[in-house]
Amino acid sequence: MTIVVGYVPKPEGRAALVAALEEADLRGEPLHVLNTSKGDAYSDPGYASDEDLAEVTALLEESGVPYELEHRLGDQAGGAADILDAVERLSASLVVIGIRKRTPTGKLLFGSDAQTVLLQAPCQVLAVKA
Amino acid sequence: MSTVDASGEATARAARSRGPIPKSELAVAAVLGGLGVFALVDAHTINVPASASAVGPRAFPYAVGALLVLSAVGLVVALVRGDRGEVEGGEDVDTDGGADWASVLKLTGAFAALCVLVEPLGWLIAASVMFTGAAWTLGARPWWRALLVAVVLNTLVQVLFTQLLGVYLPAGPLEGVPFLG
Amino acid sequence: MGDLSALMAGFETALQPEYLLFAVVGVLLGTAVGVLPGIGPAMTLALLLPLTYSLEPTAAFIMFAGIYYGGMYGGSTTSILLNTPGESASIITALEGNKMAKAGRGAAALATAALGSFVAGTIATVALSLVAPTIADLAVQLGPPDFVALAVLAFLTVAAMLGSSPARGISSLALGLFISVIGTDSLTGQQRFTLGLPTLGDGIDIVIVAVGFFAVGEALHVASRLRRGPIPLVPISGRWFTKQDFKRSWKPWLRGTAIGFPIGTIPAGGAELGTFLSYATERKLSKHQEEFSHGAIEGVAGPEAANNASAAGVLVPLLTLGLPTGATAAIMLAAFQSYGIAPGPQLFSDEPDLVWALIASLYIGNVLLLVLNLPLVGVWVKVLRLPRPYLYAGILTFAALGVYAVGASVEDLVLLFILGGIGWAMRSFGFPVAPAIVGLILGPIAEEQLRRTLAISQGDPTALVTSPFAAVVYCLVVVAFIGSQWLKRRQARLDAAVFAVAQASTTPGGPTSPVGEGRPTVPSGKERRDAARTKNDETNDWDSGGQW
Repeated sequence: MTIVVGYVPKPEGRAALVAALEEADLRGEPLHVLNTSKGDAYSDPGYASDEDLAEVTALLEESGVPYELEHRLGDQAGGAADILDAVERLSASLVVIGIRKRTPTGKLLFGSDAQTVLLQAPCQVLAVKA
Repeated sequence: MSTVDASGEATARAARSRGPIPKSELAVAAVLGGLGVFALVDAHTINVPASASAVGPRAFPYAVGALLVLSAVGLVVALVRGDRGEVEGGEDVDTDGGADWASVLKLTGAFAALCVLVEPLGWLIAASVMFTGAAWTLGARPWWRALLVAVVLNTLVQVLFTQLLGVYLPAGPLEGVPFLG
Repeated sequence: MGDLSALMAGFETALQPEYLLFAVVGVLLGTAVGVLPGIGPAMTLALLLPLTYSLEPTAAFIMFAGIYYGGMYGGSTTSILLNTPGESASIITALEGNKMAKAGRGAAALATAALGSFVAGTIATVALSLVAPTIADLAVQLGPPDFVALAVLAFLTVAAMLGSSPARGISSLALGLFISVIGTDSLTGQQRFTLGLPTLGDGIDIVIVAVGFFAVGEALHVASRLRRGPIPLVPISGRWFTKQDFKRSWKPWLRGTAIGFPIGTIPAGGAELGTFLSYATERKLSKHQEEFSHGAIEGVAGPEAANNASAAGVLVPLLTLGLPTGATAAIMLAAFQSYGIAPGPQLFSDEPDLVWALIASLYIGNVLLLVLNLPLVGVWVKVLRLPRPYLYAGILTFAALGVYAVGASVEDLVLLFILGGIGWAMRSFGFPVAPAIVGLILGPIAEEQLRRTLAISQGDPTALVTSPFAAVVYCLVVVAFIGSQWLKRRQARLDAAVFAVAQASTTPGGPTSPVGEGRPTVPSGKERRDAARTKNDETNDWDSGGQW
């Protein structure tokens, strides 16, 4: 069994990572850290840069939890689909996501990856607030 | 620096004269030459009024036709000497691999929809259809979000152009709606 | 001095609150659109032209000046942040500026680009104000054969300079000339190449061709070969502008201006060449040779200054002779024509208010750029988060809007799309678009002057070359043609060298991702294209040393 965490270089992403590390340590399961981008814009603030990745790697190494880091350009489906795909592929026991306050309009326009994961994940979901 | 230069250019040069001339490149030259021949023939049919001075309306078309034919010949010569057309690069362009005709056809369809719909249904609706179709073709998902963006954008356009700039855009069934018609 | 008071009167016009507002809107729009990768100044102008239709000429040109400078400047921001030039003249900025940004000196790179653009733009505009009226005074004495000669000069240099080979440039030019002939002959009222179609009877509007070739053609080109994946943005970090930075920047600014302005005034194909020559100069003169290709501030300061200085230089032949030296200038000329104003020697005497207000707004535009752009960098960065599907759908929408707004004609829309298809084909087969646009706009002028020459001489063709000025120009054509090929070779070799170094130093660092593909280390499209252009280069000097 594996724990999947959706990471973004933002406060909610870091909070999710920290919570996932604790959970992995507790359960004695390996961690799968996921950061993808739809790749349809010139820049995507959710796509981790080299510095972000270095920070994440340092954190992971320090914890001693066995981990895997998946950093790639996703397909057109977007973040939620990538997370759900990883959950299914690895038959994960738990998926950890970070959430933040959203306005209804913002959610309508841009959708909510967190909501999709909460509703559609076949396993337990841990939603962490930044 | 000079060694990097020289070796790089040496291989580049060898690469460029290799291989047969692609048929599509010859076709382009043929189209260009054909256009030139058409220009020369059609220029002959241009009426020259008696009032025309030394150089009438035919001379320049003849010259253009000749230039087209000459440039087609020049292109063939360049092709034979190893010149190859390079796909123009760009930030969003993948120069490896061929053209994706399906996308181009879909885009053509979206544009055709605009042409057909703009008069009966007005700018806002027709352009929103085109925008949604084009964005969807290029990978925007889900389609309704593209439609939402399209409607917002084109409502702004319709209001800005008809109300502020005083440019005519058909309103279609929205005729009479405040700020749009 | 009469010109000075005329310029002051121009300032008086351009500083009126209403006109100032148009200048601000122009600068903001021009920068916003110019920041988007893939949209160069020519496309920016073509797309935004319809916005000015309902304005009176002075307001329209003041806004245009803002769009022109804003579009030029927007490119440098993009290239520093993305390592992908927003417009072709920014490629050098992309190389050095992006290296600086990656090394945590992004803020200084943006600052030297902005300040350099301001210094160069202002000096070059001063030069324009001094040189242009003098040239106009001299040009008044030119006769029809002299203008024919100038048109030939512009045709050949543009065709030779742009594109990978002269054959392709001249093919493109010929196509533009052919399109320009379609319609009714203005002197005799005869239909030419119209195939009996009433739509073609009035000829094809230049705006439709420009928008079709640039905007629709580009959208089709991208749709047919869409590249996936984001280009990770470099954070703007580091100290803004230190004394040390200034010390290293001011000389390159001035040298860049000195190189860029004259190159802009000659028909050499636009700003790109000036930036390359400036870069080569800075590289040779710098005390920090080792920093080049790794983020040398001189390598941003000089080329950016050259870029902006040549943007002003381009206006000299445009305003005084009606001679466009590139696609951007050609579209400016089309804008003038749409208001029934013919740039040329008479412009300064016939429309002094308009022309001096335009020049004054260039000064103002420069100041606005400096004042607006640095604080707004965060906004421009956000523009880059626009998803590409929406960007290109938006380009198509605005292209159609611009054409439809002119005549509310569906036939024009169909024509636009057909021309877009031709523009796409040209891109796919490596034909430069700019010579076609120049041929299209200059063709009718050349024909009219040619026919006037031969009408005056009663059909004696020697009249074309017996004018001393024309004879000199034809000699220049030969010199320019040889010179342009030499310069292109030089540039190609510089490209190759820079490309080689850039590749060698693009060693991926940091943690690598175990699954899938990590960050894209592919060179930008422009770099690839330049490498390709080097491959196309016909005759190379094998034994010339490492100096380019």
